Amino acid sequence: MNTIEPQGCRPRRLTVGRVGVYAFLLTAALFILLPLWIMIMTSLKPMDEIRLGNIVALPTALTFEAWSKAWSSACTGLECNGISVGFWNSVRILIPSVALSIIVGAINGYALSFWRVKGANVMFGVLLLGAFIPYQVFLYPLVRIFSMTGIYNSLLCIILVHVIFGLPTMTLLFRNYYLGLPIELFKAARIDGGGFWSIFFRVILPMSTPMLVVATILQVTGIWNDFIFGLTFAGRQNLPMTVQLNNIVHSTQGERAYNVDMAATMLAALVPLVVYFVSGRWFVRGIAAGAVKG
Amino acid sequence: MRLKTRVSAYTLSCALIWSSGALAQQQKAEVLHWWTSAGESAAVKVFADQFTKAGGTWVDNAIAGGVNARAAGINRMVGGNPPTMLQFNTGKQFDELVTNDLLRDVDKQAQAGKWRDIMPKSIVEASVRNGKFYAVPVNIHGQNWLFYNTKVFADAGLEPPKTFPELIATGEKLKAKGIIPIALGGQPTWEHNLFRAVLVGNGGADLFRKFYGSRDQQAVKSPKFKETVELFGKLRGLVDPGSPGRNWNDATALVITNKAAMHFNGDWAKGEFIAAGQTAGKEYGCTLVGDGSSGKLVIGGDVFVFPASKDKAALAVQDKLIEVLLDPASQLEFNKKKGSIPVRLDVDVSSMDACAERSHAVLRDPSNQVEAMELLSTPNFSGAIQDAVTQYWNNPNMSADAFVEKVIGAMRDAS
Amino acid sequence: MDTISIRAPSISAPRATVRHRIRTRLPASLALLPTALVVLVVYIGCLLWTVRLSFTSSALLPKLDWVGLAQYSRLFANDRFLTSAENILIFGCLFISGCLILGFLLAVFIDQNVRGESLFRTVFLYPYAMSFVVTGVAWQWFLNPGLGLQKLVRDMGFPNFTFDWLVNQDMAIYTIVIAGIWHGAGLTMAILLAGLRGVDGDLWKAARVDGIPTWRVYISVVLPLLRPMIVTATVLLATGVVKLYDLVVAMTLGGPGIATEVPAKFVMDHLFERNNIALGTAAATIMLIAVVSVLAPWVYARYIRSQGRLG
Repeated sequence: MNTIEPQGCRPRRLTVGRVGVYAFLLTAALFILLPLWIMIMTSLKPMDEIRLGNIVALPTALTFEAWSKAWSSACTGLECNGISVGFWNSVRILIPSVALSIIVGAINGYALSFWRVKGANVMFGVLLLGAFIPYQVFLYPLVRIFSMTGIYNSLLCIILVHVIFGLPTMTLLFRNYYLGLPIELFKAARIDGGGFWSIFFRVILPMSTPMLVVATILQVTGIWNDFIFGLTFAGRQNLPMTVQLNNIVHSTQGERAYNVDMAATMLAALVPLVVYFVSGRWFVRGIAAGAVKG
Repeated sequence: MRLKTRVSAYTLSCALIWSSGALAQQQKAEVLHWWTSAGESAAVKVFADQFTKAGGTWVDNAIAGGVNARAAGINRMVGGNPPTMLQFNTGKQFDELVTNDLLRDVDKQAQAGKWRDIMPKSIVEASVRNGKFYAVPVNIHGQNWLFYNTKVFADAGLEPPKTFPELIATGEKLKAKGIIPIALGGQPTWEHNLFRAVLVGNGGADLFRKFYGSRDQQAVKSPKFKETVELFGKLRGLVDPGSPGRNWNDATALVITNKAAMHFNGDWAKGEFIAAGQTAGKEYGCTLVGDGSSGKLVIGGDVFVFPASKDKAALAVQDKLIEVLLDPASQLEFNKKKGSIPVRLDVDVSSMDACAERSHAVLRDPSNQVEAMELLSTPNFSGAIQDAVTQYWNNPNMSADAFVEKVIGAMRDAS
Repeated sequence: MDTISIRAPSISAPRATVRHRIRTRLPASLALLPTALVVLVVYIGCLLWTVRLSFTSSALLPKLDWVGLAQYSRLFANDRFLTSAENILIFGCLFISGCLILGFLLAVFIDQNVRGESLFRTVFLYPYAMSFVVTGVAWQWFLNPGLGLQKLVRDMGFPNFTFDWLVNQDMAIYTIVIAGIWHGAGLTMAILLAGLRGVDGDLWKAARVDGIPTWRVYISVVLPLLRPMIVTATVLLATGVVKLYDLVVAMTLGGPGIATEVPAKFVMDHLFERNNIALGTAAATIMLIAVVSVLAPWVYARYIRSQGRLG
């Protein structure tokens, strides 16, 4: 029944070891939460108070104005509608890009780790090297390629770009994960007469849950936070939320409202954060092991 | 019968929508710029409103950060889908777009509007290539202002300095009182901006032009240059240790909150003072540090360029935009909000703030106008000098001679 | 003989006809075809294009003239580029090892059946979700001697406490490492946790029966089992190292001086801000060569030469 199976001993009472575990986790959490504290405090203060520079202090004049401003009324050029403007654009880019890049990555990983296709490993090697080049180097030639094919500045274009640049990490992730799965499973499926696709969908994919979660975390974060690709390839109609976010927080010569900056950043991060929190229920033990026994 | 009327009503309404759509299409201008902060947004709204009043539709495409905006604009030109007009800084940033025939020349409009007579000579030269205007300047930013906190100076019984040696003496006195003499945003851009303020103030306009413009190695080896570099080095002692990495906005905040006395910056910094509810001439003042005279003002600014097009309708929209940009009323309103001054020197600025009036007065005498680095030097050379300046500034052990050495290397190497 | 073969089953099914093999193995190569095309056109194509531009004098727009190795000699005379190269080595070593150690510890401790696991996991991951443009400002303030930690501790009554790494040329790069680990440890934890959850439950039962202490099991049994996941995490972190840009821009902009400059920032500044595509692409090419020479032997040994499941 219960798929969550603890390892080590499962203590029923508070032992020294348990206290140590929680102490470590809480200390780590404090270190990691520190910048967030500064951001939250700043977002709740008016600018006059922020200028004084007491960055960790509680606000003396608590205000939520910056949050509502960041979401719906901060100016980002002529329009003063905050970051909410690009929200749905971001969603429309996010869902197909994440789904497609994960599917392609999983299929690639599966083909690379269980099947032997000539030249596939060379291809994988080149793909891996490609992951080490700063994206910005690709921008100009890609603009030329996409404008030749006529899909430059469209939703399709930005989705393709995300899939293309997701390829190295997604393929790597699934390939290495599948390498860790027992080969016996695959052999058995072959003997039962399973083909390429049927083994993938019936045997391999059901065992991929932890990696699908990690892949989702990676891609949702990367694509949701992407600025440069969206700006370059999406076209004015499809500009993602990060363009508005950038317009709020990034200014060379303009005055800065740090409280709005901080609030906007936290608001923009909500979607990945919700994904992290929710995806946790699939971070469960025993999937691979259970499948082997089954 | 009833069906028929309904159908015809439908087609009629379709036709109406279609024609109004086509009309809007004709007058639709997509504008790519990087003015996104609250103050800048208000400024760009002046142009947009004027354009709307003139019957056009302003489609705003704002992308913060000049580098991002320019890259996006160039990509769209290369990809064959350019905006109607796009922003650049006054200067050499768009040279190659002209040589590649990507921009429209607007000399006909310039002649009709007598731009050569009403704008400062250096701004005209920065917008003209091969004898023709390829850009429409919209404002003038003075880059070497000294902003100072009037209360701090009054409390200390000191006067704002007029020369750099004076500034160092004043700074030491302020430091002794526990006040940060100079608030500096310790990022390469602002360190470089401070260097230029010292160079033009202490070295003079001529040395400044020889340095950034003609890359005169003799001038760099002169004793005057060395003296200036050493003077710049002495300013390190007047800056607080928390400066490196700081945003300029945080440096301005130190002056606003009475923690620091002085801050060198362009006049866009007024935006922070205004946001904090302060007024030029009251809580803060602005002055030029130099040879003790009225001072030399380093001027740059922003321009709009117009991607070349064969489409008559598109050209007409561009014409209308140009009219709006240089209309005296929109010039005045825009520049009030932007913190700059009108590019047309024939506009009455008496309704502007004290700093803007001072700018305007200084610029009346052409000998006080000094072209900004962006006008004199390629982005690549400016960048190489910036690398040298930030190394010198952050390394107190580096001698002026070593700095000169680096500069000469950059003069030889940088394209 | 044929181009496609399956590893294990091909041994157990020697009598299968060639036709049958092609029919069953064709889907595998078809499935990889789109990726192969992308690799060819985008990755290899753009790489060659980048290398080609590094031999030109391109400024704002690419042009295809030929200046030989001029950009490279400029590059190697540029002290900013040399400092960048040195910094990326320091950052890379400390960042990758830091993330792996912290990430592994977090994964192991979270795996102890703790209460609020989802909450802890989200807390550890949240830095990864946020744009660095602004979290960098929070770090910058916290590390600034006049605003953050140093001021706080001094105000608490330790007037001699000094923590000025951010503004110290020799130490600033380590503040970038700290913020980097803060950002990357959560993801490492997630990857390793996914690996830990794949470890066979029987192993723990066996260890318990034998009375082996838990920490020994982690070090000598679990860690080797996690190898593919550690490799994945290391490669992901390494790509982050080579592309390191946002973090530096948000925290120090390469300063004080040029103390925290990194290669990717050098490339970006020259491509976009300084209208010097040629020098930017030359720097990118050198980065690529460096990556290839570090990775090629490893990639070759592990992925290309070895045909086994775990080389």
